[in-house]
Amino acid sequence: MTIRVDPENNESRALFALAEFNGRRVLEIGCGDGRLTWRYADRAAHVTAIDPFEGSIARAKENTPDHLKSRVEFRHIGFEDFAAASKPSTFDIAILSWSL
Amino acid sequence: MVHALEEISRLLKQDGWLIDIHPIRKAPLIKIHRGSDLLFIESDPGYDYDEGLRHADDALEDAIRRGLFLVEGKNEFELVTYASSAAEMREYWAKYGAFDGTPKDESIVAHQNDVYAKAGEIMRSNEGAEITYHERARITRLRLLNGNEPIL
Repeated sequence: MTIRVDPENNESRALFALAEFNGRRVLEIGCGDGRLTWRYADRAAHVTAIDPFEGSIARAKENTPDHLKSRVEFRHIGFEDFAAASKPSTFDIAILSWSL
Repeated sequence: MVHALEEISRLLKQDGWLIDIHPIRKAPLIKIHRGSDLLFIESDPGYDYDEGLRHADDALEDAIRRGLFLVEGKNEFELVTYASSAAEMREYWAKYGAFDGTPKDESIVAHQNDVYAKAGEIMRSNEGAEITYHERARITRLRLLNGNEPIL
């Protein structure tokens, strides 16, 4: 057995109880290896998922399911740099994923 | 953190949502079960980020007090991680702990060694046992408000 995180989907259930993702543009800050991203991305219009740790983003890109590749963009970048290069009023939802 | 929240407010569209997920300020639990029998339960000795979580809570409260965001809903949930051995579990969490770059106190490392050694012994002597790591987290939905004032 390898590591399994939240096979009960407690986190995504809590997320879906609070937020509607259909058609939304989402920014996920601190996406890690994409564990949470993949659970909501198929509902969103587009997801930009960022993390400052290169290894995590490499794993996220490598393991992204084919059907999500067109709508999820994983980026190796810290939030400050990302924000400095981003236009205002771009996203409907920002997720601070265990990263505040 | 406060600056990050201000930047997030800039990137959100009008009426956008900020969803914050972060652990509550309580040490996670390491458990070993075999079937319905609980064989082992211990707080993670590596929990030393209480101050960081307090800062996170304070930053959110500050942003709300200043009228940047409005809390629209919150909930708590338990995130459970499963591993095949105590060593695998420790290695997994060590990888995450390494991200903050802060060296662990020697006494914490010694306590961790004891806890994981004991857990490993129980796993080896109880075929079919399962080791899990339980972390409680809070999820909050905040709505961006108009007319926010700069956070100084």
